Amino acid sequence: MIPSPYCTIGPFFPGEFVAGCQDLTSFQGKQARGQHIVLTGRVVEEGNRPILNAIVEIWQPDAQGVFRHPLDPHFMDADPGFFGWGRARTDAAGRYSFQTVMPGSSNGYGNHPPRSPHVNLMLLAIGLTRRLVTTVFFAETPESVRDPVLDCVPDPAGRSRMLARRESDRNGAGGVPVYRFDIVTRGDSETPFFID
Amino acid sequence: MKPNPADTSEVEYAPYREDTQLARYIKNYPRSFTRNPSQPLIQRPLTLSELTGPVALDQRLGISAQDIAHVSPASPRAIGQYIEVTGSVTDEDGAPLAGSMIEIWQANSAGKYIHEMDRHEAPIDPNFTGLGRFVTDAEGRYKFRSIKPGAYPVTESDWWWRPPHIHFSIFGPSWMNRFITQIFFPGEPLNETDLLLNAVQNPEARDRLIFETTPTVVGAVNFLTFRRDFVLRGKKRTPQLD
Repeated sequence: MIPSPYCTIGPFFPGEFVAGCQDLTSFQGKQARGQHIVLTGRVVEEGNRPILNAIVEIWQPDAQGVFRHPLDPHFMDADPGFFGWGRARTDAAGRYSFQTVMPGSSNGYGNHPPRSPHVNLMLLAIGLTRRLVTTVFFAETPESVRDPVLDCVPDPAGRSRMLARRESDRNGAGGVPVYRFDIVTRGDSETPFFID
Repeated sequence: MKPNPADTSEVEYAPYREDTQLARYIKNYPRSFTRNPSQPLIQRPLTLSELTGPVALDQRLGISAQDIAHVSPASPRAIGQYIEVTGSVTDEDGAPLAGSMIEIWQANSAGKYIHEMDRHEAPIDPNFTGLGRFVTDAEGRYKFRSIKPGAYPVTESDWWWRPPHIHFSIFGPSWMNRFITQIFFPGEPLNETDLLLNAVQNPEARDRLIFETTPTVVGAVNFLTFRRDFVLRGKKRTPQLD
């Protein structure tokens, strides 16, 4: 059977479905382990125009690099205070923001290669009939990351656009570091997106 | 849930086939031309990170009552045609996806959403929120009751009215089959001109964006019944001889 067709999220995704989902730093009353961070940025379209009312979802491992999913061989050791999924909506400036933890690197096993610290990100908005998917990495330079997904991006400028940058001049609530990841869906400094 | 590492390499997530999906660029839908990437999408390997995804979302998100036509059991029913929607969520092999979170949102019977972006002058129904969250059962089935949504005009268009539809957001077992769509009602005249519904080339795939009607059950409470099964991406990998 062929998969059902995707369709755009449209303009009216309920605010109730977003409320509370930007904060990944606790789960079932427990605080997430590891370095808490803010992951934030702007989503813009052609001409650097902000995209208002886009929905951003993320999926990431915990601070030890473990996914809260039964396919992860270390699933039983996953941080009980970290669910790993979040959702945010962009404002009039195209800005989204998550409170999360710095993901750990994950060891390879079987056919699965090791991964550098990263966050999977998907974007839904009016005008997009399907989601756009990319990956956020945390490093000063692309050369310092050894990762099989980042390595697929042929253009060095594109690879550097997949790095979240530490904002040196500000911290989030509680003094946590802020990492900035801007998303250009179309334009001169376009974010690389993957075949989905 | 026990770890089952063997499963990761047994499931294949092939890219969506273009003819069975909506076109990315749609004439007279201007934002499709300013928002879709100009650069080719990049092929990547699927590692544990992409093959996992949020599961057991009912631990994280609240579930609603099965009947969203009533804000609470004691409150009056929302205005509009009472409907029941059922169906299943399976993978490409037809295997049920149990425990999948389904989020739905829809306009009220006058074509109005409770949302700050909705500037249509139609009235809000105080007895209808238009949203629900359900989880599929062991056979991958879901069921809810609501009212049939109304059509509404697209704000920036001088001709386009959206036909009645219900939005679905479904979480499969993997980041690769996270799924969002809109499902339309059969026989609606506006279906023939809707830019989104008609952006699917393959007629069989287009039909899968439309509810099927099913026989109604005569009883004390009557409602029209609609069915829509969803097939999420993912199938057992054919063993390779090498």
